[in-house]
Amino acid sequence: MMAQQRVVHPALKIAAVCGALVLFFLLLSWGQEHWDAYTVRILNLCGIYIGITLGLNLCNGFTGQFSLGIAGFMAVGAYTTALLTMSPAIKQAVFFIEPLIYPLNSVQWGFLPSLLMAAVVSGIVGFLVGAPAIRFRGDYLAITTLGFAEIIRVVFTNIVPITNGALGLKGIPPHTNLVWSWGFALVCIAVMVRLMRTTYGRALKAIRDDEVAAEAMGVNLFFHKNLAFVVSAMMAGVGGGLLGNLITTIDPNMFRFPLTFTVLMMAVLGGLGSITGTVISAAAVTVAMEAFRVLEEPRVILGLAIPGVPGMRMVVFSVALMIVILFYPKGFMGDREFSLDRVKRFAAGVRRANTSKQG
Amino acid sequence: MADTNIPALVCESVTMRFGGLTAVNGLNLRVPQGALYGLIGPNGAGKTTVFNIVSGVLCPSSGAVKLFGADVAGLTPDRIAHRGIARTFQNIRLFRNLTVLDNVLVGLHLRREANLAEALLALPRHRSEEAQMAATAAQLLEEIGLQDVSHYRASALPYGQQRRLEIARALATKPAVLLLDEPAAGMNPAETEDLMRLITDIRDRFSLTILLIEHEMKVVMGICERMTVLDHGETIAEGTPEEIQRNERVIKAYLGGGAVARN
Repeated sequence: MMAQQRVVHPALKIAAVCGALVLFFLLLSWGQEHWDAYTVRILNLCGIYIGITLGLNLCNGFTGQFSLGIAGFMAVGAYTTALLTMSPAIKQAVFFIEPLIYPLNSVQWGFLPSLLMAAVVSGIVGFLVGAPAIRFRGDYLAITTLGFAEIIRVVFTNIVPITNGALGLKGIPPHTNLVWSWGFALVCIAVMVRLMRTTYGRALKAIRDDEVAAEAMGVNLFFHKNLAFVVSAMMAGVGGGLLGNLITTIDPNMFRFPLTFTVLMMAVLGGLGSITGTVISAAAVTVAMEAFRVLEEPRVILGLAIPGVPGMRMVVFSVALMIVILFYPKGFMGDREFSLDRVKRFAAGVRRANTSKQG
Repeated sequence: MADTNIPALVCESVTMRFGGLTAVNGLNLRVPQGALYGLIGPNGAGKTTVFNIVSGVLCPSSGAVKLFGADVAGLTPDRIAHRGIARTFQNIRLFRNLTVLDNVLVGLHLRREANLAEALLALPRHRSEEAQMAATAAQLLEEIGLQDVSHYRASALPYGQQRRLEIARALATKPAVLLLDEPAAGMNPAETEDLMRLITDIRDRFSLTILLIEHEMKVVMGICERMTVLDHGETIAEGTPEEIQRNERVIKAYLGGGAVARN
């Protein structure tokens, strides 16, 4: 017995989606003013990490190219956006060891063009890193990209006239708000959903499953792997830019390997190859990172005084990661997606089971 | 492909050396258009190496591979697929986590028209192309007999159907020449029977030229019109099934030096 299919007019669907989006952003801009700063900060981080993790998942999960360079691309994006949005006066004050080089010291762009520029620059860096690196497979690619990310960080520490070296940048205008960060998250989600529904998305998944067979079927490995790598780098770059303009200060040491690890953990927990899994897990991990801060406070348990241990929550995260990998080796969602159809099918199954029990 | 006199596939003194090992030595192969051609030989004879050269996985140490007269040796596998050579693999290499339908759709990817931007923005050309692709893939699955399992994961199919799916996926690239690497390996007699019918059938329906590697003598002798026999990288015989069955060098290669052909 087939459930009767209700036909929804496509125009109605589009109108519903647009309406929901408008409401969503109205809520966010209202919340920006009315929610407390702590909540707003965490929600901002959620939006940013959703976008960045989706980018990582495109490369590592959907295309199967295990890259560990995400922190490097975030650094590129963060510095690009920061240098373009800071006012010349602040730049002059911040760069007190060596002055900032010419074109950068006198420009100040709006936030949107700066973020777009961050996407372009990190995309170019992504291509320069990716084009040679994607010739490697598996572990070798991971090590190569990790090396490139470290190179980017070391270079940033040393080109003082552009990056202010180890001192980093301070006084970055706090442009990032809920609308920006969640707008970014939604754009990333939209790009991923669209891409995976096209023949290009299928080709990427084919590369993940069997590179040799994909190439024999006419899939150009160089183009498709670079596509995944560059788009991934662009998402990381914009995410990095939003992050910089959220916390208003960046320095090269922010973009060490633990940052890549955090994003990777979000992707693995949610399921490499699942968009919905990534969204859920990126948000959940970001919130948990903050919630677990209580673990690092000194406290008294059963009369035993335990001093605050910085880094305690990372221990908890490691244990959580192990438990998840034991019970859900493919992450919570594997490579499946949450969809209304699935829920409907599940509900139909439950109903069928109930009626057969009664009958 | 206007001139029917040009052979579909030619190997001219193709040699492949891996360090000190000569896997294929001076192979000459001439597969006429529309032929069903066999490539046989004992284990380690160099058959799969020949396939890897023709499909671009390996670049031959010397010699030329010509597809309808144009040299394709040394091109990358995806370029060769564009030129019209498709293959299956000795050890099944499906996209295991994709559905049966998606496997075939990946085969259609290389004939795409819509570019990436059109695809991302869901512009009309992309949408009509996706619909077209879905229809073509569904039709292909129907012709190959997999329409009922099109939404299964490829890894969930039984072995015989996985082999068929590999053929369907290869056909999706719209090849002129199809290379089948031991398609009957591991099949029971009934499945082999079906497969033989399928191979001759698709040759006619898709006007293909088929080059076949096979161990199962029944298959090769039953459907191939001509064949080449390799042993230790050397061509030891070439001819029709009847000629090959009577050839002493072939019998010697397969059964060993002491064996004598009776009757």
